[in-house]
Amino acid sequence: MRLYEFEGSALFHQQGIAVPEYTVTTSPEEAREKAQLIGLPVIIKAQILVGGRGLAGGVQTANSLEQVGEIVHRIMDRPIKGFSVHQVMVAQKVEVEREFYLGVTVDGYSGTPMVILSAGGGVSIEKVARIHPEQVASRQVSITKGFSLSEAQKMAQEVGLEQEELEQVAATLHILYDVFRKYDTLVTEINPLVRTSKGSYLAVDAKVEIDDASLYRHPDLQVALEDRILNPLERKGHQIGVTYVDLHGEIGIIASGAGLAMASMDIISQRFRPANFLETGGAITAELLYKVMDLVLQKKGLKGIFINLYGGINPVHDGARGIVSYIREHKITIPIVAKVLGNRQEETWEILKQQGITVVTEVATEKAVEQLAQLLEGEK
Amino acid sequence: MSILLSRETRVLVQGITGRAGRTQTKWMLEYGTNIVAGVTPGRGGEEVEGICVYDTVTEAVVEREAEASVFFVPPASVKAAVLEAIEAGIKLIVIVTEHVPTHDAMEIRAYAKGQEVRLLGPTSPGIITPGEAKMGIMPGNMFTAGRIGVISRSGTLAYEISADLSAASLGQSTVVGMGADAVVFTNMPELLELFENDPDTDLVVIVGEVGGIQEEKATQFIAHHMTKPVIAYIAGRSAPEGKRMGHAGAIIQGSMGTSQSKVTALRQVGVEVAEYPLQIVDLVRRRLIHMKEVTNGTEDNQGIL
Repeated sequence: MRLYEFEGSALFHQQGIAVPEYTVTTSPEEAREKAQLIGLPVIIKAQILVGGRGLAGGVQTANSLEQVGEIVHRIMDRPIKGFSVHQVMVAQKVEVEREFYLGVTVDGYSGTPMVILSAGGGVSIEKVARIHPEQVASRQVSITKGFSLSEAQKMAQEVGLEQEELEQVAATLHILYDVFRKYDTLVTEINPLVRTSKGSYLAVDAKVEIDDASLYRHPDLQVALEDRILNPLERKGHQIGVTYVDLHGEIGIIASGAGLAMASMDIISQRFRPANFLETGGAITAELLYKVMDLVLQKKGLKGIFINLYGGINPVHDGARGIVSYIREHKITIPIVAKVLGNRQEETWEILKQQGITVVTEVATEKAVEQLAQLLEGEK
Repeated sequence: MSILLSRETRVLVQGITGRAGRTQTKWMLEYGTNIVAGVTPGRGGEEVEGICVYDTVTEAVVEREAEASVFFVPPASVKAAVLEAIEAGIKLIVIVTEHVPTHDAMEIRAYAKGQEVRLLGPTSPGIITPGEAKMGIMPGNMFTAGRIGVISRSGTLAYEISADLSAASLGQSTVVGMGADAVVFTNMPELLELFENDPDTDLVVIVGEVGGIQEEKATQFIAHHMTKPVIAYIAGRSAPEGKRMGHAGAIIQGSMGTSQSKVTALRQVGVEVAEYPLQIVDLVRRRLIHMKEVTNGTEDNQGIL
């Protein structure tokens, strides 16, 4: 789960990383008052969870209180990259002398934390690594031993930092690793850390992603994953306990298991476009599939539904009942093809067939997609 | 014995008294798995499906000589339970549990490093040596005994592909679910190595998916160490960028982890990659016929078709 910039900045501040003076607000009036307290000029930043907000006009400088009001109004008035802005950060604008990149992430393949430091900040770390590899140092860290200050200092040395710069950047990197561990993050990134003309070191952006599986350990963050899912259908999927990914096509997909759902998408994509990815998880019940049908059918322009299930812990006829009762109650007439295998599958097929669903009893998903194609193309 | 698991393996079920633990214990026993004990702290002395429950793994090891453990333990307890199992001398650990905190997974991996234990998961459907034993939640009727090794990052797709192979009389030596998280305990090259050294496996099928670099890393092993043929399928070529596709590890980030990068890397080292799951059957069959022609008349011909 991504944190908003202001939440990340607050975490950094709490843990001892200096950040520019800032406040978060929802109205132009309040923004003006706060800007006066912080002191002009200020930088106004849309608080949204997608990248590239700067280029989309979501980050602007205000030199007068009047401008503060105008900019806040403008930023909050229209969506940025498709998402409405509910909050803006008003932050002290600092004079930048130098920028650095500091990051701690999970190296999935080695299964270790990875610390990255670059003497060039403000742009993408991938770009710096490509053009100026000598400016980038990285380390796989032993999670049991931890990441020491002296190791951070060695990294700072490797990228060419000296004296106070070396000390300050290394100290910040060392704290950043602690934030990574303490809050179970997958990504903790300062891009950039700046040295100001007054010689202070400030984190002027904060990218923090907490591991969803660890949220239960961090009630202090007081954030709900659900509120962060911006797409309404994807949010609804989360509420009913399935993974739904909104796509742009016309065939609704309901599958058990992420691999099977992706393979279904791939096969369907040969002839049609998937409207969604949906993974039910292993505990399929009538109630769950009733809700899943409701979710998938909310998508506009659907031409067909493809159901591909393997019974997990429960016998599959129960799930079939949920599908059928939804169809009956809502008088659904859209073509549906179902391949459902598992405990009590014969009974399941009967239940589905009686409701007019095309049932495929073969194992291969390809055969079921052929049936769907026949149904849809026969209609033309 | 194929790899890692046989009908002789003495299996322990950790978390045996929970709902999933009970149901799956019944099905594993029906399949023929040699389950010798269960563990749930505080529930020692009970029985599940005729299997004795102990409070600690050490008791199960001492009393019942358990050597492998399958986990139906809640995510927050997995780390402590794995460390306990390793301490007690368990040699194979299969974590079916989903949503294990990533930092816990990293700690477990660091702890297991250098010790004589093999871990699979988290979020693994398990491991099955068809006709002998299974540890995990795979439905036994989709698999048949044979000489094809399967390594999969997903569960249900591994069932389907194994069933496709079975329908074509292409049985499996062992099917391993390596787990669907971003951090898994055993990486793909290590599993390839086990199959490479297994006299009961002739060919390996990789069921990969978008996200991470497992398949890319596997190509390095294949290029330098693998003599047996490898066939692959990568799920998620139609997946959008930046979205987790149900599995924590299945996410394309920028140009990282795309189906294209994996397919290209695999093909470069001579792996045939199926466009769709069912195509694996044709690729495997063709490859085996080719192998048979090459070895025909020699002692190496083990009658694989």
